[in-house]
Amino acid sequence: MNSTWTIAQKELLDLRRDRLFGILIIFLAVATLISVGVAAASFRTELDAYNLYVQQLSASGSATVPAAPLLFPLQLLRGGVEYLEILGALFAIVLGYGTVAKEKYRGTLQLLLSRPVGRFAIPAGKVLGLAVVWLVVVALLTVMTTAAILVIGNAPLQGIDIARILIAALIAWVYLVFWSSLAIGVTALSHRLSTGLIVSIVVWLAFVLIIPQIGDTMDPDNQVPGGLFATLNILKADELKVLANFAGFDGIRNGIEVSSVTKHFERLSFAFLGVKDKYNQLPIGLVWLDMWGYAITLAAATLASVTFAVGVTSRRNLQRKIS
Amino acid sequence: MNTFLVSARHEMLNTRRARTAHLLLIVFIGMVIASSVIGWVTNQTVTGIYEKVVADGLTMAPNPFTGVTPLYYTRNAVIYVLLIGSLMAIVLGVQSTLRDRKMSTADLILSRPVNSSARLIGQLAGLGAVLAAVISISLSVSWVIVSIINRAPLGWADTGRIIAFGLLSWVLLMTFALLGMLSGLRSKRETTALLVPFVIWSAVAFVLPQIGTAARPVSLLNPVPAVSSTGGYFDVVSAITGPLSVTEQFKRASSIILQDSAVTGSATPSILILLAYLAVMTVIVVATPRNRMRSGLHE
Repeated sequence: MNSTWTIAQKELLDLRRDRLFGILIIFLAVATLISVGVAAASFRTELDAYNLYVQQLSASGSATVPAAPLLFPLQLLRGGVEYLEILGALFAIVLGYGTVAKEKYRGTLQLLLSRPVGRFAIPAGKVLGLAVVWLVVVALLTVMTTAAILVIGNAPLQGIDIARILIAALIAWVYLVFWSSLAIGVTALSHRLSTGLIVSIVVWLAFVLIIPQIGDTMDPDNQVPGGLFATLNILKADELKVLANFAGFDGIRNGIEVSSVTKHFERLSFAFLGVKDKYNQLPIGLVWLDMWGYAITLAAATLASVTFAVGVTSRRNLQRKIS
Repeated sequence: MNTFLVSARHEMLNTRRARTAHLLLIVFIGMVIASSVIGWVTNQTVTGIYEKVVADGLTMAPNPFTGVTPLYYTRNAVIYVLLIGSLMAIVLGVQSTLRDRKMSTADLILSRPVNSSARLIGQLAGLGAVLAAVISISLSVSWVIVSIINRAPLGWADTGRIIAFGLLSWVLLMTFALLGMLSGLRSKRETTALLVPFVIWSAVAFVLPQIGTAARPVSLLNPVPAVSSTGGYFDVVSAITGPLSVTEQFKRASSIILQDSAVTGSATPSILILLAYLAVMTVIVVATPRNRMRSGLHE
């Protein structure tokens, strides 16, 4: 057994015994389940309102029956994806930070460095360990949320829906590994451990919350409750024509949004789950044709993050650390 | 000099020396200032879109931005106080109480004839002064930018509203600083001390409002509070979760103070809820037993 795998196994054992890790994952799972439950309740409320409206129409003698609201089961996962996007990334940072910090706090760092392990064995083992942990966590969350759609949402799922959920799970795993690796690298580079955590959280704040928020804020259609174009009674085709005159502004807005890896994760997940109307019920192959660029950038960002973590977590950087 | 003043001065000195705190302070001030510029650029574009739509004869509707107040450009500051300001306050709060435990200076300080409550209130006052300074700087610069955008200095009424928003922001940030202080006093590990208030913050900012309003987590990043879904489940649950959602109460009160037309009603209930949280958190932190302040970390 090589030393990288031995260190990865140690990480798995450490995390299995870590109560904080357990609490974080339970919190994430509960939040995700709540989001499915709330989305299902929201749909039922909408359906009740529709049924009442139809009853009133029928009582008034009207023969017109408006279109009933449709439930697309995978759209119930939108809140869960957003929780992974925000809280999942935060918890991934905490785990990445913890995997470096614990060696210093427990005094095991010197012991680890005294063993005949390769230059990259320690960081690669830690990244591998966390990647396995996230794989297990994402698998559990996937099973739970799928069950929640069936039980709480009372919505049937087809084989193709399961395939879409599995693709979204894979995307989530890549995204979480990105954040954990980034936190490992930043913590390894920081002279003081708490600085590593705080700097990682500032990066999280910027890329997960601030940049996407700026993009949303700059969206002209978000300026008026209910949407600018809906308020002005503009049809979709006319809206696109008008917006073509403001392509420069929209380019800057979109550029700001896509500078965040979080937006790549969000757009990919929403496309494959059909959360975005444009991709709803579209075959997976066609979604891929439109979204492969995002998949490549997310994978490249994660690869860069892993390389950064492995590259900077050197013996020298680890030894100069103060708690 | 008494314990209160010494502790307050010491806290300010420590914050001045902490480089990570500076990073958060710079990000916060920068974003509050940037929010005015972003608001202005977006408003200009939307006005351009409206003019184009009218020129093309596509609408007869009035310009939705007619009569918009000069304070419209500061509306995004609400969300930056909530996102960056709250996390900054938590970090400052955690560091203020954890520092003494980590370096074992709590033993030294409390071996002197020092009242532990006065010590904690002093630390809190120091944090309060730092947060007040940060809010004052960011809103002052924001005032200048909004005045430039409007090509005239803001009037007394609008200036008063910005000051009221600053005061409300201070109340919210102090509540989160107290949460950080409490976590710094009670946690056994530094990681837990930083993480627990972050988890509480995320639950308050995202999970609670979602339960009561069906708003999606990302939509809660809007400066305007989420509107409750109506009917059955949501009527009951939002009545319970509404007052607990401190961040939504802050958004509501701030939107009313800054005259955001999307929010109507009185800001008073939301302000009272925020003040109640601040009072409760202050009592909890100040009542911390002496031996808890001296307890070491388990790492």
